[in-house]
This record gives sequence, structure tokens and C-alpha cells, in this order.
Amino acid sequence: MYNFRNKNNVYLHTVGGDRANYISTTEHRGSPGSRIRRKASYFELWFCRCCQSSIFTSSQAMLTRSGTRILTALRLEHPVARMVVDCVRKHSKATGDGSKTFLLLLASLLRMIHAAAWKEPAVSRTYSSREAAEAATARRLADELLAFALEELDDVISAGVLPYGLWVSWEDLTAKTPPPAHTSNSTCVQKLLVSFFHTRLGQTHSDFISDLTCELLRNCRLKRDLLPSALQFVNDNFPALHTPVSGFPISCSHLIEGQVIHRDFAVSFAHTDHQPVKAVVFTQQLQLKLHDEGVVLKVGSGGKMMENKSIVEFSAWSEKSLECVFAKLQCLGVSVLLSAVKQSAAVLALAAQAHMCVVECISEDELSLFAQLSGTTPVSHCWRIEPVNVAFLTFCRPILLGVHRYVHVAFHDLEERTMVKPCSVVVCGPGEGQTDQYACAFQDAIRMLLTTCKPTDVTVTTVLSDRRTRLHTDDHSDQTMPTSFQQCVLETGCALPAGGTFECLLSHALLQHGRRCSVSHILANALLNVPRLIYSQSPRHFLHIQTRILSFILNQSHTFSPLCKQGSATDLGHSAGAGAGDVPPVDSKLSLTCCRETGVSLKAVMLNSGLDSLGCKYRLLLAVLQCVSSLLRVDTMLYTHTALNTQSCSRASVSWEGSEDEAEH
Amino acid sequence: MSRLVKKSPSVCTDLPLDNADIYNKLSLLRQLLASCFGPTGRLKQVHNNIGGHVVTTSTSSVLFPAISSSQPLVNLIKTSIHNHVSRFSDCGLFAAGLCLSLIEHAQQSGLAANVSIRINKHLLGLCVSYLQREDCGCKVKLDFCSSQSLITLARSVISSKPACVLTEQEMLHISRLAVQAFLLTLPCNNPGIVMLGKTVSAYVEGHPVLNSAVFPGLLLDVTGDFCLNKEDNLNPSPLSVVVFSTSLAGDLCELGEGLIEVPAGVDSDLQILEQLLELGKQVVTDEVKLFACQKVIHPVLQQYLRSEGVIVIERLGAYLMEPLIQLTGAQPVATLHTSLPAKAYGEVSEISVRQFGSKTLLHLRPSGESAICTMVLCHRNETMLSELKVVCQKTEHVLRLTIRDPAALLGGGCTETHLAAYIRHKSNEVSEPAAVLGCSHSEYHLCMEGFCCSLESVAKALEHSGGNSLIDLTHAHHWTLPADMTKGDIEDSLGFCGCGLVGSSPSRKWTYINTKYTAFSPASLSVDPAVRPRVLDSFTAKLNALQVAVETANLALDVRYIIQDVN
Repeated sequence: MYNFRNKNNVYLHTVGGDRANYISTTEHRGSPGSRIRRKASYFELWFCRCCQSSIFTSSQAMLTRSGTRILTALRLEHPVARMVVDCVRKHSKATGDGSKTFLLLLASLLRMIHAAAWKEPAVSRTYSSREAAEAATARRLADELLAFALEELDDVISAGVLPYGLWVSWEDLTAKTPPPAHTSNSTCVQKLLVSFFHTRLGQTHSDFISDLTCELLRNCRLKRDLLPSALQFVNDNFPALHTPVSGFPISCSHLIEGQVIHRDFAVSFAHTDHQPVKAVVFTQQLQLKLHDEGVVLKVGSGGKMMENKSIVEFSAWSEKSLECVFAKLQCLGVSVLLSAVKQSAAVLALAAQAHMCVVECISEDELSLFAQLSGTTPVSHCWRIEPVNVAFLTFCRPILLGVHRYVHVAFHDLEERTMVKPCSVVVCGPGEGQTDQYACAFQDAIRMLLTTCKPTDVTVTTVLSDRRTRLHTDDHSDQTMPTSFQQCVLETGCALPAGGTFECLLSHALLQHGRRCSVSHILANALLNVPRLIYSQSPRHFLHIQTRILSFILNQSHTFSPLCKQGSATDLGHSAGAGAGDVPPVDSKLSLTCCRETGVSLKAVMLNSGLDSLGCKYRLLLAVLQCVSSLLRVDTMLYTHTALNTQSCSRASVSWEGSEDEAEH
Repeated sequence: MSRLVKKSPSVCTDLPLDNADIYNKLSLLRQLLASCFGPTGRLKQVHNNIGGHVVTTSTSSVLFPAISSSQPLVNLIKTSIHNHVSRFSDCGLFAAGLCLSLIEHAQQSGLAANVSIRINKHLLGLCVSYLQREDCGCKVKLDFCSSQSLITLARSVISSKPACVLTEQEMLHISRLAVQAFLLTLPCNNPGIVMLGKTVSAYVEGHPVLNSAVFPGLLLDVTGDFCLNKEDNLNPSPLSVVVFSTSLAGDLCELGEGLIEVPAGVDSDLQILEQLLELGKQVVTDEVKLFACQKVIHPVLQQYLRSEGVIVIERLGAYLMEPLIQLTGAQPVATLHTSLPAKAYGEVSEISVRQFGSKTLLHLRPSGESAICTMVLCHRNETMLSELKVVCQKTEHVLRLTIRDPAALLGGGCTETHLAAYIRHKSNEVSEPAAVLGCSHSEYHLCMEGFCCSLESVAKALEHSGGNSLIDLTHAHHWTLPADMTKGDIEDSLGFCGCGLVGSSPSRKWTYINTKYTAFSPASLSVDPAVRPRVLDSFTAKLNALQVAVETANLALDVRYIIQDVN
């Protein structure tokens, strides 16, 4: 018997369609716990290998290394699997990163929780079977873990991980000239991007693409300290800001200043004078329809009376009104018409006669971006064209990208209106699969940076500020600390050397912390599993890295000056870099020697090991814990068989609380 | 319920290139495409099982869409190469051959995929930077002062498509026409932004190839009588033209979808027709000689205009509208109720009728400077004509590519062998790349050898009659030795190298391709204006083909899993 007080979610998975009519048979397939575990281990196995591979599915010829896209493409049937995939998708949509680690961590957490639940014998006698008792314990542990993460994890991170992090400086993006070589954090953003693209696109082009991303961000921001707004802008408008072009090598990818409207001119006219070009956006047909559907038009034989107008006169009236619109446009000096819909032949012909360019069928995204950048609004009705509707463009000309001819516009007096400068990315690749893969990675990289540079969680800020005061009281030598942790995390974000450093550091900190709390042990062990799996081909590397990091923590404990932080992160970077999966042995040797010559060659070391964003990792941890607790709350899976041709009454998944129907189980 | 089939899970293939089935398919594709390569390439007849058109071709742009595979990896490579061909129109088979050969060599070498990928990328960088250098030994600057090198370039494209079935003389004729058409589309006295003109093609089947011709202006294929008298032909003054872009059939499609209620006794069709005839009257009073419409013209209006001596052309189609507007300088008209503005009229200097077999074409000559020309292509039968059509489009595109980058590469396999020799030499010269790339020296050497062999195997694929491919040890050009020759008279039978720049001489030394030779720096040719290369390849197209081929090969090597949705 199941304990109904626990408010378990029960998944009703209908076989053969989304709509369920009635539950004809309900079969009970044992405890879902074991299935969840099995499913998760399957993913785990899979993803260990996926870390270095491209995937290609045939249905739409997709090429990807992104965990989320692979998971989605697998079209998994099992309800638990679908639930996990949903969680992963939500997480990676927000942060753009971490889908593979998500699954690794999820699997190892589930295993740890079940091991712990198994060890803990049935404490209460209310459960009939050992299995039920185990499930209940697991559920309790998951909830405790989540509660612990929400309340105390930020605390642990700020004490045990944050001191070893690097503050990502966005300054290097503003600098027009390359940053000086001796500042070790000068290329933090670049390193962050390189290691991100390395996992998503492979080694060959990661440097090139990350340079392109940096250049895009550098171009997009107008003022020095507005990187988050530039990132937000690129993230929001990415579909309109990139153009995939197939048939060219990837190294042909480049940036174009201004906006590219992905349509060709319906009517084009080469403007030779260099005055600002005036453009107007229309969202409706310029030529008025005389009557719409459902309206009856009465025509007569022609004459003076209204009811005697012939059909010819009506259509002449329609043309006359169109000419008035064009007269108005010419009066305003407009020479470019941008339209969201297809215009009639008369409009195009009149535009050609008036030496105007027309671009038809522009997508909504692009028009809204255009409106945002030009600071104008589309014309609501063709008889009300006001000067506020007129946008000023520096130029409006055709641009040939691949086989397509598009319209390229640049905006006049942009500085006065917006915080950002538009810049389009042309993503080249031999085939559509690649351009798609690169564009996706590009957008995810922007999301990742956005997460890094402004964590939205309120809890982080408050707890960190608490922490700061506590630190001050504990340690009085701490006066030189940069303004505050809170500010650093908020404004610049924090990064850690990639390759398991975060997991090692946090698990160590958790174990220290965990003298009071049992769940933190589970979390610590689960975390440690992630780097273990990443280095599963060479377990020696894992041990090597772990010991290095741990010995490093022991040596460096309680040093908090910013300089030391730089140094510590670099050293950590080295130790992690020495074992990074794809870095060949020669490189790690190189970094070893470099590290010994301290100071000057710090940068060289850092270049070898990538960086991971702390903000992303933190959000990942929370998302996984939430997923675990919701997974373990599932008590029973009911498979329902349905007849298709009758009306539906229930949804695919029903949340249900202590229903009578359950009693038979 | 019986129609419901349970969804089957996706099929996952681990390490697809290690799979014998996929590997065999790729190698079959390589053999298939290699056998099409070059002027003596073997033709392929493709017909599908649902009764489609039978295609006879050796051109990659026709072949790629025609063949299909159930294997995603094959399709991935196919689409990559096809994308290149559709952008650059040339060197598709070169790219495919190189790409598949690179994959094969990388698999045979047994190196780890990521090592091969890294080294291939490095070698590609070497090739690209060498080809872009000024003193590159296999590049020639195109000279726009004489049409000779352009004709050679055009001829190389045309001769590499044996499915056109052209004799030597016909080939030269078509090459000249292609260059002539290209030159006619370049506007002469237009400062500022230059808009290239357009070559419109007309096709005549059943006529000898040598009857093909290029005309400045536009030839429109129109049926019916034109009321064209002898006097009209000789009329020297500019003739007025009006062009409509809307239908003149009497339908008012712009009115809307609602109902129209017409009282009894009122004929609205007649009212509209009267309106159209009004328009016709104005055209006649304005002394318009040619009345063209993109869509349909009402027969009554047509009849009226013809009776007034106006030439009427209807159903032009959107494709011909643009060149017609450009040629005449007319502005398209789409309003029926207002009087025609004077500036909407265009003009042509002469209208005449040309007869090509059964086809009657109306020839419009521009009154001023215009970059529109028409190419009339004739061939003996439909299959050959359709191939010739494709070839002429490709040639036009290749010629246009030279505007941006006026250079060409030596053809006949010489560029490939030259590049291979250069890479071998460069790799021997410096030993550090292995350290930078993070691989051992032997790994680097193995992969480099695979890369060079792949390049040479493409050159070797030019020979289909069992002959041997050789490489000379000074310039590293490509030579072909016919099958029935013995080693003794090698110098006499070789004659010239593939591109025709190097002649055989007793002092020259050769070695068979794919035999080991000591690396040497391939010497650049001394500039001798008297000797012109006989075969040239487009520089832009080949450079892109090289990059696409290596990137595609790297991509295929990088694929770890194939997940196929089999539902």
C-alpha cells in the first residue's frame, strides 16, 4: 500500500496518442525507482562517450554535440526519460550549457541517494515492504538535499569555491587593441568561450569561433560598461542577427555591421546620393481592399449617384488612393518601403515609378529589431503616415550571401537612441548541418556568458553579502578585498578552471561542512563522480587532479587577497589542465614547465586549461537537485490503453493526491 | 487501432567509419565519382525506379541531386559537396574525390581521428597560404587585355563535360561564345556601383552546334504573328515600348474576397473591357510600337492593338521581365485607371525577327548601352542540349568569378601534384609542426603522406584508359603515359604535361605517382609569354573546393555516432 499523505505525482502515460479517453486497463509496473535509476545510468554511459563525439541523425540531418539536442532527437518514449529530458531542456535553455553534466550528476545523485536509503533500515513501521520504506527514505533525502541546496549551498560555495575563482573581466572586450600579455586575466572571456566551444564544436574551430564571438560583443556595445545589455540584445535577437550560409568553409564566417534583412528587394533602385536614406515599415497591404469577405458590394451601371457606381470606378478609386499614399511618401522623402506582407503589383509598379525600393514579406522578428534600432514604429494605417514612422538609414543596399541576395541596412545616428550597435554574424559551413550546429553553439555561448555575468538568483546576492560581513568579522587582515563578493559575482561573474575543479572544490567544502549535515555527504560524493566519469579513460588522471587540488587547498587556505586569488586559480588551472581529456600529453608537459617559471608565463598556463563559469555550475546544481526531487516523488507509473475515436477526458499526466482509485495497488 | 504501430527506438551506429558497410559505400561513391572526372570521364546514366527522366551526365551538379543514399554519412558528404558546386559551379568532382580519398587514407592509417583532423587542418592551411601567395608556382594571373586566357578557362570547363559530345571545333566555338556573352554583360561606361547584366538563353534542338550564337539585346520566343513588315525592321528611330506587370485579362483580383452584387442588365465585364480599350487607345496615340505584358492580355485588346500595328507580347513571365526592363529602360505599369506617365515608356532601337529552325524569335536591340545579351544554343538532340545548357551556365559563373579574383590555376592535374610536392618539401624542411600540433613525428608524417596521396589520386583519376600517371621531378607537374607505351620511349610519348606548360626534354626525370620520391622544392616556371597553358581551372572555385573537401573529410572523421530515426 502506498502512503497517500505524501502527495506523490503519478504519471499516466497513455499508449497511442496524447489524448486519453478512459482507463481501460491500468497495469502496475513495480516501483519506478529502479527504472529511474536504470534509465539514468543508461544516459550516463552514453554521455561519457558523447563528450567527444559528433552526432548525426538522419531524420533532419542534424549534426550536433549538444546534449540537449541529442536528447531531444532521441525521441525517448519512457515517461521518466521524457521528464528528465524536459528538465535538461529547461535548464539549458536558461543557461545554454551543462546538459551533459546535468545527466552525469543526476545519475550519480540518484545512485548515492539509493545507496543511502538502502543502508538506512526501515525506521518507521508504517511501510509494508522494505521497498516502500526505501522509496520513502529516498524521497525524504531528495527533499532534504533540495532544502539544503536552497538554504546553505550558496554559503558553502562562497566559502569553499569562490576564493579560488577568477573574476572574469569584461574589460578586454572593450579594449580596441589586444590586451597586454602580462595581465593574466586579460582573456578570461575568451578562455571561457574557447572551452565552451571546444565541448560543442570540437577543437579545430573553437579558437576561431570564440574570437568571432568576442568581436561581435565588442562591436555590439557602444559604451564601456554595458556588456550585459549587449549580451541581452544579442541573445534576444539572435535569429535576426545571424545568417547561415552553406557551401563555404567555416573560416569564411564573418561579421557585418548593421542589420541584414533576410529578404530580397521586390523592387530595387540604386540610390547614388549619400544623404540618409529614409525608410518606412508597413505591416499591412498598401492597396486597400475594397471589400473584405462577407461584405457585399453593390455596383451599378455607372453614373453620378453612389448606388450607380460601376465596378470600374471602384477599382479606379482604389488606385487613386494608392497614388495619394505614394504622393505622401514622396513628400516625406521616403525611398525604402519595408513590408511585412506581400504587396500588390500596383504598389510595386508605383514604387518603381517613384524610384523607391520595396522589400516584402519580412519576418516579424526582423521588423521588430528594425523598429527597435531605428526608434520608429510601423505604419498602422496607410493613410496615416507620420514623420515619426520614418527611419533614417545610412544606406540600404543588396548584399549577396551564398546564393541569396539580402538587404543590408545601417542605421543613422544610432548612438543617440540605443545602447547597442547592431552587428550581424554570417555563419559559413560546408553544409546546413554545420551552419546550424555553429549557430546553435553561438547562441548557447551567449546564454552562457549572460548567465555568468549576471546571476539572477536573489539568494546568491543576499547570502553572499551576509557571508562578506561574516568574513570581515572572522578575518581582520581582509581589508584589501575587492569591494565585495556580491559585487564581483553580480557584475563580473566568476570562473573556475575547467575539467572538474568546481566539483572537486565543492565536494571538499561540502565534506568540511558536512560534519553537521548528512545530506551534504551524499552531494559531495555525487559531485566527485562527475570528474571521475569525465576522466573515465584514465582514472589515474582523476586521482592526480584530485590530490593536486586538495593539497592546493590545504596550502592556500585562508588567503584572500585578490592577487593570491589570481595565482591560486592559475595553479588550479594548471592542475586541472594536466588531465583534461583532449589536451595531448605534450601540452600538459608544456604547462608544467611554464608553471614553474612563475609570474610571466601565467597566461600561457591559463591558455591550456579552459574556464568554466561558476554561475552556470551553481544553477546546474540547483536544477539537478530539483529534478531529482521531482523524479523521486513519482510513486507509480500507470500505463493506460486508450481507444482513440472517443472524446478525451484526461491529460497525459495527472497530478493526483490520494485518489480512491489507487487503493487497489 | 490497427493502424497504430508502436514507435521503434532510434537506431544508433557507433563509429560509423569503422563499419564495413558504410566504409564500402563511401569507397563505392569515390570510385563512381572518380570515373566521371575529366575530359575522358565516363558518363553515367541515372534513372530512378518511379519512372523519372533518364539523365545522362558526368557533371557533379547533375549527378549529386540524382543519386541518393539511405546512409546519412554519405548524404552528409554529398550535401556538403553539392553546396560547394551550387555556389561555385566548378571543381565538384575534385572536392568529392579529395574528400573521400582523405577519409579513406585516414582510416587506413589507423591514426586517432582527432590527430588526423588536426594535421589535415594544418596541411590545408599550408596549401591555402601557398595558393594565395604571389609567387605560387601553379597559379597564373589572368590577363583581361586578351580574351585568350578567358577562352582557355571556358574551354577547360566545357571540355571536362564529355556528355555534351562536342568536337574540338565545336568546343572552341562554344567557349568563344561563352566569353563573348560574358564580356557583353559587363557594363562599360558606368561609374560607381556596377551591376552585371544578364545572359538570357534560348535553346534550339536539332540544329548543328556551330549555329549557336550570341546576340546583344534580347531574343524573345513568341508564337503567333507579329504584324511585322519589312518597313518596321528598317525603322531607324527608337521605338517606344510599354511593359505591364499586372494582368490585362479583365479580372480585378485586387478588389477583395467579398461578394459583388450586380443588378440585372449591367455587364461589368464589358465595363472593364472598355476601360482596357481606353488604355489601348492611349498607347496607340502615344505611338507605342511594342506592348509587353508579364501576364495575360485580353484577346480583344490584343486584336485592337495588332490592328493598329502594335507588336503585342503576352505571358512574358517574371524571369524575362527583369532583363526586358533593364534593356528598354521602361518602368513596369500596373495601374489601369490612370493615364500612362510618359516616363514609364522605354525604347528599343530595332525589332526584327530571327528564325532558328522551327523557332521564331523576336530580337529587341537596345537603343543605348545595355548589358543584356542572348545566347542561342543549338545541339543535335535533347540529352546533349540539356547538358550543354548546364555547362554554359557553369561557364558563365566561372567566368564571373574571375572578376573578383583575376587568377587561374593550372589544370590537367598539375596543381594537385604540384601542391603535393610542395607539402612534402615543406614538411621535410621544418620539423616543428609535429610539436605544435601535439602529435609525434611519425604520426605527422603518416598523415601528411595520406594527404599528399589523396591530392595525387585526384590527379590520377583524370586518366581512364589504363594509362599511367607520372610526375616530373623539377616542376612537379602531372603527365600521362598511354597504356601501350614501354619504358624506353617515355620522353617521346609524353609530349606535354597536363596543363601544357612544360614540354618533355631528355634532361627531365619522371617518377610514377604514388611511388616514393625524395622531397624537392617544385620549381616555378620561367615566364615565357609564348607558352600558354592549355588547361586552366578557376582559382576561386578550386580554393573553396579544397577547403570544403578537407573540412568535410574532417567532419566525417569526427562523427562518432549516427542516430537514425527509423519511424
